Amino acid sequence: MIELKNVSKSFKTKHGRKYILKDMSIVIPSDKNIGILGRNGTGKSTIMHMLGQIEFPDKGTITSDKSFSWPLGLRGGFVGNMTGKANIKFVCRLYGKSAKEIKKTVEFVKEFSELDDYFDMPIKTYSAGMKSRLSFGLSLSFDFDYLLIDETLSVGDARFRKKSKEALLKKIETCNVLLVSHDMGTLRDICDVGIVVDKGKMSYFDNINNAIAEYAAINK
Amino acid sequence: MEKRSSLKIFLAVLNALFLRELSMRFSSGRMGMFWTFFEPFFQILIFVLIKMVLFGAGESNFDFAVFLALNFTAFHMFKNIVIKSTASFKANKALFLYKQVKPIDTIIARSLVEIFITSIIISVFLFLGFYFDFDMQVKDLTMVTLGFILLIIFSFSLGVFMAVLNVFVDSVGKLINFFMTALMFASGVFYSVEMLPLEVQTLLFYNPLVHFMEMIHGFYFYALDDKFVSYEYIFVWTLSLLYLGLWLYIKLEKKIISS
Repeated sequence: MIELKNVSKSFKTKHGRKYILKDMSIVIPSDKNIGILGRNGTGKSTIMHMLGQIEFPDKGTITSDKSFSWPLGLRGGFVGNMTGKANIKFVCRLYGKSAKEIKKTVEFVKEFSELDDYFDMPIKTYSAGMKSRLSFGLSLSFDFDYLLIDETLSVGDARFRKKSKEALLKKIETCNVLLVSHDMGTLRDICDVGIVVDKGKMSYFDNINNAIAEYAAINK
Repeated sequence: MEKRSSLKIFLAVLNALFLRELSMRFSSGRMGMFWTFFEPFFQILIFVLIKMVLFGAGESNFDFAVFLALNFTAFHMFKNIVIKSTASFKANKALFLYKQVKPIDTIIARSLVEIFITSIIISVFLFLGFYFDFDMQVKDLTMVTLGFILLIIFSFSLGVFMAVLNVFVDSVGKLINFFMTALMFASGVFYSVEMLPLEVQTLLFYNPLVHFMEMIHGFYFYALDDKFVSYEYIFVWTLSLLYLGLWLYIKLEKKIISS
């Protein structure tokens, strides 16, 4: 369960304050794969970051007894002048993995990300797609309650996209996802329920198709 | 995912950051590891040579090369802890994506790396000193060590304060470099305060770093002492900076993470 209590979050812009959430209270039930929909700039990513506890509400609280992954997005979270392998080791250490587990994870990510020689090259030589392959592969080797995924599934070539989707479908047998995406197909395949973000509000739908319908209505 | 205690998380984060900082240092350029330790060493060597050639060995009844090496090592550690800490929040922004990494952890890790490097530099000097038979007798090792420990706490406190400032005020990172160069000449690195005229002495005592330096070399050499050191001054500066730095940090931590 994820509970938002009177959460407000806003940013200052040139045209006054822009609210992403305004005094929002909502309870999101457990054990569901959640799709987050909304137009660009409505604050989907910010909401994701608040769930991942790297951004914080101006007012109100967000509570949950579940563990969340770092937000898997285009930002990467890697260090440019270290190799892919060194970055993987670093993140494993952050989560307190033992030397043996680290070795296993490195093997797995190398295999999954298909980066070959690039795996031992600095991250700054990677393309955006390569970075998210690495990041996604890495996230699969942790046991979070929720994976926070921000658009990452839509990068990379078609073959790798398919592979990621398959891997994710397998992963969600043991964990849940919070997925930000503009790809309705992906949302339908992976998510059970949906949240539509619009005008400072989150609306919960217990069927992803209803959320998609609502999103389509907003976009009209 | 298994719940870890906050101490366990903190230690795991420190371990990861420490190893990362160290490997980044060593991997800068082909001779990264070599230069990490020998750059300060060569700097000291140059200062010692200039001093010896221009002014002669002097009348001092202690080994001036050892004196310079000791002071310079202490100052180098101070300078690096402060400069690396100041840049730390900005440089490690990508890592705040992982919620267990608190900005201050990056400062602690960087400071630990500097302390580690300093201890290697000291070992190199000790080895060379004994090999070439310099007079390296220590008067009071405990107090010298204590001097280093106090200096570390002072540097860390200043580092935290500057790091917070650096996030919200522009050009702090640039200014600190100039400031350090100026400070090197006004901190008793190349001289002991008692070698200076009285007017200069009174002026220099406002600089807290002078007190740390006087304490360290005052307890190292039999010919010197700590009569110029004001321990109240050391504690007032250290505790005020530590309090101010941590207070600002706690107030602004969330802003630093999402900045």
